[in-house]
Formats: sequence, C-alpha cells, structure tokens
Amino acid sequence: MAEVVLKKVGKAFGDIIVIRDVDLDIAHGDFVVFVGPSGCGKSTLLRLIAGLEDITSGELFIDGAKVNDALPSQRGIAMVFQSYALYPHMTVYENLAFGLKLAKTDKEAIDKRVREAARILQIDHLLDRKPRALSGGQRQRVAIGRAITREPKVFLFDEPLSNLDAALRVQTRLEIARLKDQLGATMIYVTHDQVEAMTLADRIVVLNQGRVEQVGSPLELYTRPRNVFVAGFIGSPKMNLLKGAVDSVAPESMTVRLPGGTKVTVPLAKDAQNLQPGTEVTLGVRPEDVGMATNGMAKITGRVLVVERLGSESYLYVRTEGDQTVVVRRGPGATAKADEPITLGLPGSASHVFGPDGLALSRAVPAAA
Amino acid sequence: MKARKIIGSTLFYLLVTAIVVYTIFPFYWAIVSSLKEGSALYKVDFLPPKPEWGNYTAIFKEQPFGKNILNSLVVAVSVVVISLALSVTASYALGRINFRGRTPLLLIVLSVSMFPQVAVLSGMFELVSWLGIYDRLWSLSLSYMILTLPFTTWVLTTFMRELPKELEEAALVDGAKPLTIITKVFLPLLGPAMATTGLLAFIAAWNEFMFAITFTLSNERRTVPVAIALISGASRFELPWGRVMAASVIVTVPLVILVLIFQRRIVSGLTAGAVKG
Amino acid sequence: MAVAQSQLTRQRRRAALAFILPMMAVLAAVAGWPLLRTIYFSFTDANLDNIGSYSGVGFANFASLAQDPEWWHAVRNTVEFAAVSVTFETILGLVIALTLNAHLPGRGVVRAAVLIPWAIPTVVSAQMWNWMYNDLYGVLNYIFLKVGVIDHPYAWTGSPKLALVAVIIVDVWKTTPFMALLILAALQLLPAEIYEAAKLDGIPAPKVFWKVTLPLIKPALMVAVIFRTLDALRIFDLPYVLTGNSRETASMAVYARQKLIDFQDVGYGSAASTFLFVVIAVFTVVYITAGRVRFESR
Repeated sequence: MAEVVLKKVGKAFGDIIVIRDVDLDIAHGDFVVFVGPSGCGKSTLLRLIAGLEDITSGELFIDGAKVNDALPSQRGIAMVFQSYALYPHMTVYENLAFGLKLAKTDKEAIDKRVREAARILQIDHLLDRKPRALSGGQRQRVAIGRAITREPKVFLFDEPLSNLDAALRVQTRLEIARLKDQLGATMIYVTHDQVEAMTLADRIVVLNQGRVEQVGSPLELYTRPRNVFVAGFIGSPKMNLLKGAVDSVAPESMTVRLPGGTKVTVPLAKDAQNLQPGTEVTLGVRPEDVGMATNGMAKITGRVLVVERLGSESYLYVRTEGDQTVVVRRGPGATAKADEPITLGLPGSASHVFGPDGLALSRAVPAAA
Repeated sequence: MKARKIIGSTLFYLLVTAIVVYTIFPFYWAIVSSLKEGSALYKVDFLPPKPEWGNYTAIFKEQPFGKNILNSLVVAVSVVVISLALSVTASYALGRINFRGRTPLLLIVLSVSMFPQVAVLSGMFELVSWLGIYDRLWSLSLSYMILTLPFTTWVLTTFMRELPKELEEAALVDGAKPLTIITKVFLPLLGPAMATTGLLAFIAAWNEFMFAITFTLSNERRTVPVAIALISGASRFELPWGRVMAASVIVTVPLVILVLIFQRRIVSGLTAGAVKG
Repeated sequence: MAVAQSQLTRQRRRAALAFILPMMAVLAAVAGWPLLRTIYFSFTDANLDNIGSYSGVGFANFASLAQDPEWWHAVRNTVEFAAVSVTFETILGLVIALTLNAHLPGRGVVRAAVLIPWAIPTVVSAQMWNWMYNDLYGVLNYIFLKVGVIDHPYAWTGSPKLALVAVIIVDVWKTTPFMALLILAALQLLPAEIYEAAKLDGIPAPKVFWKVTLPLIKPALMVAVIFRTLDALRIFDLPYVLTGNSRETASMAVYARQKLIDFQDVGYGSAASTFLFVVIAVFTVVYITAGRVRFESR
C-alpha cells in the first residue's frame, strides 16, 4: 500500500480556478474521505489523483514517485465510479478481467485474481451474467471487484453510494467498512454525505470552493472545527451559528453578547485571542448541546416556531428575542408546542467562538456539554 | 358538443385518408401498370385486367437488369463499408477528444455534404479519366464517397458523443489505449448506430444518379437508377412504361420493406443528422 | 499560465490525428481536389475530349455566363422551383406532422405510408410520375378529365407553362415526408405541460397552434427550411429524368452539366458550376450560423 502526497496542487479550467493550493498527506492504509458541498471540487481532486484530469500546478506523489505526467493506468490506482461504469457487453468475469487482459497478464493469474475478488465480494455466482441482469447493489460490487483485481496501491471511490436507495446505501456502507478492514488498503473516498464521511473515515478532508478547510479525524472535526464552514457542515442537524459581539474578555475566557441580551461565557485557550469588545463574532452551539435552562447556563428566551417529531427524538425551532433561530434537540416525549414561549440554556463549555474572519478561537479543552 | 366531436373526428380521418392516398397512390399505380402488357397499357384500369408478368421477365431478358442490380449492390456496399471504416475512428476523435481545430474540421465535413454534385463534376471527370476508371464501377465507388463520408462521419460523431464518459474513464484506468477504447469498449455498443448509419448511406448510394449516368457508358456497367431512366420498350412502337414500372417495382419493394422495418431507427437517424446538427 | 500537457492528453491528441487523417485524406481527394479543379477550369477553355490541354481565358466564361439568357432562365427556374417547393413542403409537412403528433389510432399507418415516397429512389419517383403525367395514357389526365377539372388532356411535362409545375409537384410529393419527420421531431420535444395549461385556460386549438406551437418550433423549422432550400437549389435528378435538358425546367445543375458533358465545354460548364457553388456556399454559411447556436451549446 502506498502513501499519497499532494503539494500545492491546483487545477484551473481556462481562467476558472477549481482547486487551489491543496496540500495533503495520506499515509499507508489510511481511509480518507473528501467531503464538501456540491461544486467544492472534491470529485475534481479525486480525478486529479486518478489522472483523468491534468494537474495545472503543484505536484502529486504516489508511493514516493511523482506522477503528474503518468497515465492513469501507470499510477497504481483503481477507481470505483458513481455510475459503476461496467462494460455493458461483457460478462462480470470479463469486466473484472479486462484491465488484466490489457496488461497482458497470463490467463491463470487473471483467473486467480478474478475469482479471489469475486469471493471477497460474494459475487462468484454472478460471473457469467451481464451487467443488465444485475441489481444496483450487485453492480456496485462488481465495480468494486474490478478495482480489487487491479491490486492497486490506492483505491479511489467517487460517490459510490449516491445511486443506491436509502436502505441499500446503509447496507453497502457496512460492506465497504468491512472491506476496508479486510484489505487494509489506502482508500480515498468522495461523498457529499457527511454521515458517510463520519462513519467510514479515518480522516476527513473538508473542501469548500476548491480549498481545503480542515483535515482531521471525524471526532476532531466534530469537536474542534477550525472555522465556521466546517462547524456548519459537520453534524446533522447543523450547528447553531449565532451572530453576536464580544462583550468582555478575560485571560482564559470570552463573554459573547447575543442580540436580545443573553451573554455566554466561553472558556478559551490562554491568550487565544485579542479581540476588542464590540467586535462581531459568531457563537456556535450544537442542537444536542442546547439545554433547558439550569444554573450555570446562559439563559435565552424565545418562542417555539415549529416542533419536528422524528420518533426517536424531536427538534424544536425557536425564535429568540434577539430574532435569531435556534434549533434544539429533545427527547421523543418533548411537550413543547408551537407558539409557546420557552427558555433555553446555552452552555458556555460546549460552545465555540468564531472570530470575524470565521476562524475558530482555540480552546484549551475541547467543547463538551 | 358531441356532434362537434364527430365532425372533428370525421374530418380528421378524411385528412388521414387523403394523406395516405396521396402518398401511396403513385406507388400503387406503378405496381398496377407493371402488370399490364402491350395494349393493356393504353387503357386506364385501376386494377390490372389480368396480371401479366411479361414486363418482369422482359427487363431481365432484353437488358441486363440483373447485372444493373448487381452493379448497384457492389457499389453501394463497398462505399458503405469504406465510409463506415473511415468514419468510426474519425468520429471518436471528433466527438470525444478535445483538440485545436476540432470545430472547424467538423464544419468542413458538414459543408462538404452541402456541395452541389455538379460543382465537383469536371474535376472528378478529370480524376476518373486520369485513373483510367471511366466506365468502371470504381469510378462510382470513388465518387460516391463525397456523399456518404460526410454523412457517416457526422452521424457517428453524434452517436459517439452520447456514449457515457465514465465508461471511457473506466477503460482508461484499466489501461486501454485510444484504439482499444474504440474497438473493445465503444464499437460493441454502436451496433445499432452503425446499422442505421450504414442503411441510410446505402440508400443514398443506391439512389445516386448524376455520377452514375456521367461515368458509365455501357449497359453492363449501369446502375439501377440509370437503367430505369433509360429503359426502352420492346419495339419502337411500344410504350416502355410497363417495363419501366416493373423495374421500378423490383427495386422499390425491398427498399420499402427495409424502410418500414427500420422505421424508428431511420427517423431518429435522420433527425439526429439534421435537427440536432 | 502555460499548462504542461500530461501524457494522457498528448496520447489522445496524437491518436486524434491518426484517427482523422484517413477520412480527411479521402475527403480532400474526393471533394477538395475536384472542387478546386472545377473552379480552376472555369478560367480555362478546356474541352471534355482532351481535358489535359487548355489555356487560360481569365473571366471570359463568367462574362459569357452573365450574358447568357438560357443560364438566367435556369437560375430563374431553380429559384422559382426552390421557393414554391419548399413552401408547399413546409406547409404540407406541418399538416402531416400535426396529424402524426395527435395521439389517435391510425397514426402508425400514416407514418408508414408517409415514409414510402421518401424510400423510393428519386429516379424511380420521376419515372412513376412521368408515366402518370403521360398526356395520352397517363392516369392523371384520365382522372382530371373524368372529374371535370380539365377539358382536354394536358401535356404536363411537355408544355412550357406546365413543365416546371409538374416537376414541383413530384418534388413536393417526394420530400414532404422528410419535412414532416423533421417537424414531428421538433413537435415531440415540446413539453406536454404547455398544452395542458392551455387546455385548462380554455384556449381554442387554432389559437394554441398559432400563438404557442408555431413560435416554439420556429427555430427547428427555420433550420429545416434552410436545409431544404439548399437541397432544392442544387437539384438535378428530378428535372433531368422528367424533362431532360429542357429550357423550361432546367435547373442550374442541369444546365451546367449539359454544357459540361453534352456540349463538352468544360470551361463554360465549370464556370456555371462554380457560380452554383458560390450560391450554395452563401446559403450554407447562413445554415451553419443559424444552427450554430444549437451546435455550440453542447
């Protein structure tokens, strides 16, 4: 297995810059997920690594060798496409064997590798069928099988679950997780679904408009988002991002005043900031951390707009007196009703503060309710 | 309200009948006329009094109509095969590879299909004489390329464009070179497209008249359109029309059957070439 | 910023060159070269029986052409033919397309029937109609006389006044299906919701046609009309088989070929051919520019 290194990689289509200055280090056996909203460049980045698009600037290394100029088939990669891209006129066996045949591998070796891949993915009974006779999930597995037979250094997945229905998606996600353990290979996986990212990744790369916003483990991204974008992207439902202003600062904390008067004190790392009172900042609190008002919590009053009951939990959308919307997670038995007044508690210890530039002000201790 | 609907429907079906009669009658009349011999042609009977097949045997005995058909077949098939072969790889490049000058090249190909045939006639005549293929079928196989090649290239380019990009990329990742992509990945998927394009090109070559009548001299070398234009009667005093109609029917019936079978494909092939272009 | 092309891009571009070359080479040999030769010959006094020896005559051929009444008669014939044919083909094609578009039983029969004139080779159509046009024994005169539309047999292809009409009728018969199919394709691309909305609003059918359908298919219609006009301007087979080289129906192509092959005057015939080519070229530019909006949007 190999490491993948990107050094200041950029991609432009004519005048339009799509990927800017990406630096990335992917270690052997890492399962890295590229995630971000539509158009953020995650698929383009994957295709640059694959060699399906030319790199405009910067350098790409796979297993120590610079591969900017190499053909896709020379890079030691294999790709699983969103639409599976199986060869429709070939049987499953022929689909799996195609790359090996082109590489002039001898028949016995081909057979061995094809059958091994089929065994791992449990598609041995499908080897004689053509793609049109397979279900969506089966085609998925053939696509993965084709990648496995190549015995690549790096596996690339381009939104492989997007075309599956919800139930199948969950099941296949589990299978991919199992594969990850079984093969121990370096894998780069692209998705727009942050749940997939959180559950599958060793490390997540959050992309936005061609730039890397943050790289880290799922938990790191969840508890220590580097900026407003990552904070709002990771976690479902979204973190509440409330605009406020610096009320006062102390060596190891800051008090933020929200419209409506509520003041929340957030513990920060020593000298983590030097913002003047009055500066505009953003306060971030996750719906699951917003509590009912208890001692020690900053109180904020408002009126319930909507209650969404999901069976396992409920979400309250509250319009605060400062005219901001706060989402709160409650248990299934929440008694709140629309139009009722309500008082919520914002825990400073679980809150994040983002400066006027959107960057998080660092904390000594990770946010926890 | 109901009366209106009935009138509307009746008018509609009258219209439909009118259209069908208008389009089919000449063909019907040709068939009827072909079954009349000698003096029967002088009378107008909408059904042949007694179907006679003399005309049909005559055109094969009195002139080499069988040879004419063979000539047309040989020319049309050779032209179609060569055109398709040249177009397949060209259409892949024109449809899927980005290179400088692609658009002008496509426009050149398109504009050649707009040439009036007579505009290349003198140049072509010189070429044919120089190659020594005057009154040989090769002259037609060569000159017909100006009709079929732009067409097959243009239509196949359209079809090539529509093939999925990810399929091509999967092949690239698998290590396929451009020619391999064409032969092993795309060509198997283009069967119907090739058949339709080939059929339309075949019909164009089969129907060609100007080059055929200019570059062939002897009866034996003539193709079907020329033969039909020049068929004479059994004697100076007989109307040739029975024979002409028989020849027409022989040539037309297979074409009509082919077209009816491949209706849908032909319609989509024609519109792909014209509307989308 | 200069972008270094990767191996993949270079490989594909080299392949593109190799893939296109054979086709372009043949096209150059079969279309490019003969065209240039024809244009060249327009400036010479070449002759068909000894095409190799000629001398330059400058613009003399074109000058003669400009003063040749028979040439201008052919030009007029061609333009009249094109204008009338295309108009009728478009209108009739529209009627047939609308009929085919209506989801009523019998549609399949109409579509099959409509394809038949298109499937029949041009020469065969010409001969079929030639026979129907026969002044003594033709079925058209018979029917018209019986019905009372005419009082004596007409010489359709023989009479100077009627001959062009006769040619036009056959062309309309033969080509209307093609127009109908093109228009039908355009009609079928229209979203059904528009008609449902119009129905809900209670708009009467004719108004729907004029104010909704027609404007929407206009672009496709324009392209089809230009395409057909181009074809009509270069017509040869039909008038030649129906009426030979007759003055009354000769198209520019018929005239040019006659000078070229029958009179063996390669120089003069080439000049006429070149003139026709220029006319077509101008129209083609119009066609390509008109269709380019669609083309470039891919």
